[in-house]
Amino acid sequence: MRWLCKLLTGAIPHVQPSLLMPGVAMGIALIVSIGVYATVEAQGPTDDATCLQCHSNPELEMTLPSGEPLSLYVDPESFHGSIHGTLNVTCVQCHTDIQGYPHPPANYIDRRDVTLQNYRTCEGCHVENYRSTLDSMHQVALAGGNRNAAVCTDCHTAHAVTDPANPRTHIPQTCAQCHSTISDEYIASVHGEALFDNDNPDVPTCVDCHGVHNIGDPTTAAFRLNSPQICADCHTNAALMDKYGISTNVLDTYLADFHGATVELFARQHPDQATNKPVCYDCHGVHNIKSVSDPTSMVATQENLLVTCQRCHPDATTASFTAAWMSHYEPSPDKYPLVYYINLFYWIIIPMTIGALLIFIGSDVLLRLRRRLGKSTSTPES
Amino acid sequence: METSTPNSQPETAREYRRFSSVQRAQHALLILSFTVLAITGLPQKFLGVEWAETMIAWMGGIENARILHRYSAIVLLFVSIAEFIMIGYKIYVERARWTIFPRVQDGFDAFNQFFHNLGLRKDAPKYDRYSWGEKFEYWALVWGTAIMALTGFMLWNPILTNKLLPGEFIPAAKAAHGGEALLAVLAILVWHFYNVHIKTFNRSMFTGKMSEHEMQEEHALELELLEQNKASYAAPAEIQRRRRRRYMPFAVVTSVVLLFAVYLFVTAETTAISTIEPISDRSQVFVPRTFTPTSTRVPPTHTPQPPTATLEPGKPTFTPAPEVSPTASGAQVAGGSLPADHAGRTVCQVCHVSGMGGAPKNPPDHEGRLDTSCADCHKQE
Repeated sequence: MRWLCKLLTGAIPHVQPSLLMPGVAMGIALIVSIGVYATVEAQGPTDDATCLQCHSNPELEMTLPSGEPLSLYVDPESFHGSIHGTLNVTCVQCHTDIQGYPHPPANYIDRRDVTLQNYRTCEGCHVENYRSTLDSMHQVALAGGNRNAAVCTDCHTAHAVTDPANPRTHIPQTCAQCHSTISDEYIASVHGEALFDNDNPDVPTCVDCHGVHNIGDPTTAAFRLNSPQICADCHTNAALMDKYGISTNVLDTYLADFHGATVELFARQHPDQATNKPVCYDCHGVHNIKSVSDPTSMVATQENLLVTCQRCHPDATTASFTAAWMSHYEPSPDKYPLVYYINLFYWIIIPMTIGALLIFIGSDVLLRLRRRLGKSTSTPES
Repeated sequence: METSTPNSQPETAREYRRFSSVQRAQHALLILSFTVLAITGLPQKFLGVEWAETMIAWMGGIENARILHRYSAIVLLFVSIAEFIMIGYKIYVERARWTIFPRVQDGFDAFNQFFHNLGLRKDAPKYDRYSWGEKFEYWALVWGTAIMALTGFMLWNPILTNKLLPGEFIPAAKAAHGGEALLAVLAILVWHFYNVHIKTFNRSMFTGKMSEHEMQEEHALELELLEQNKASYAAPAEIQRRRRRRYMPFAVVTSVVLLFAVYLFVTAETTAISTIEPISDRSQVFVPRTFTPTSTRVPPTHTPQPPTATLEPGKPTFTPAPEVSPTASGAQVAGGSLPADHAGRTVCQVCHVSGMGGAPKNPPDHEGRLDTSCADCHKQE
């Protein structure tokens, strides 16, 4: 350094070398720091191999302040097999706070805290899905202080992210992590059975009714009022229903009845008001929906149906009361003939009666026109 | 009547009493209840059609419409009871002629009138107090009200109905209620409106009176009978008073019985209409599965160690795994210890990546490491 200063002072006379020292030092520091920056840039961000040097050790773990151990192990195979692994997403792209070692201090209290502090990193790439979770029941619960409420990684896992719907059975199993009893009910239902036994692609899983990321509160009046449309999405789809010989006029027949008409009107006119008229799942079951031909279905036999009716009509004790509901049948000469023939009667009698009255009125108009004409032309007669 | 026709002379413009104040009051209540029943009922029959739902919304919702419908049904039942008592009074006390009851002649009158209208018959039939058309309307109303009351009862009290009749009668009642309603409303709009509002505006139901001209036009036979004093409406006052004394107890008892029937009609059962809370299966929502590790998650086979030191929150401590080498080669970590002149240096890579100034180059596995981590292994001498 001193020689450099001497060289410079030689070139610039009258300047003391000691005065130049700080300036030269700063210049060198600048050059060196640019060099360091350039070197790091050239190397790029930390690659996964670096992280895995430590984190591929299955025994690597830390103890959290809560006393819970936190495994710091990442199974390289499963990560590289994950969607992110195959797309060459690197560790630090998600762990944005970490660049090399040592890591910045982590302020985790317990294992749940680790998840809750880190899941927002998903937003970095999956902005839309992340935002739609913000409207979800889970986020509402989380905001309300329920730390168990599911966040991204609870359903998708952190490192072993795979297509969540492949196989589809994975969906109810995912929800079952927290909603195990409901999931069990679903798995025993007609939909769940078809999914697990036959890998049926048509039956709904949890997300088909509840939504995926913006899963709403299913206990609101609005959800209940709109729920028939959820069922109708599939059950009025002839292409789907014909495969199983299921009627597609279940919605129309429901809407034609007091129950359905009321619910539909509430849905349209008072979407936030509760009504006590039943929706599909009040009679067919919520998650435990059974085929109507299954003797354990809530609507299968007259006895079962009466019990179902009694939930709202406790005074109804006669089994034939169940026939007051036409069981989604359109009245026909075979099914509900009385209703069919009464409708037919009025279909005939109304046009006939009103037609006859109109014909008579026509004749009266004719008379009055003739009289008026007669009066104006031949006055002497009257 | 103020609107006298050109050829009516002042001395002949006599007026005839046609409807009593009780009848006019009944008619007013009938207008009220029938109109409200139609306005609240028809949109329910035509749900799904836009105008129907607009009307329902205008009424404050379907439940409001139903409540209004039921109240006006009660009014109509009151009107019907009053009519029943009044008919009995006319027949028994006044011994009035049975002018409202149908006769075979009415059928002929209808045909004759029709052929006359078409110009196929010279003379128009002369009508007594009620023409065939008026009788048709009256009995259609009586019959219609009976059907509506009966089917309305079944819909209002389906469980009670079901104790006596098969369940199928409930949707059947609904079908009949809707069909009959449509028939009644259309008949009123077509027949009643044409005959008393369009053809001529017949005010007699509001004023109670009819002009001589109108009588000649519409009730010529009654006019003749009146002029011959054969259409007396009242027996001598003394006889009427005696009959009235006998009729009154009957009227009171009948009214009470019928009103009680209305009360039963309205209150017989409640579960079909009262607002019981919607029933829903609220299962326990959060029931976590007992943790079963998935294939992707390798369960840590640790033996949890008791916390060795008082932990400061936010300062996690690693359970050290010192035997694990961070280098891929497994070479001893210690690396080179740092020469004395390196003390205090924080910048490493600038020399050790490039080998600048003769510095030993990093081994390949050090690639990507940052200056901040060097001192973890390379300690000062």
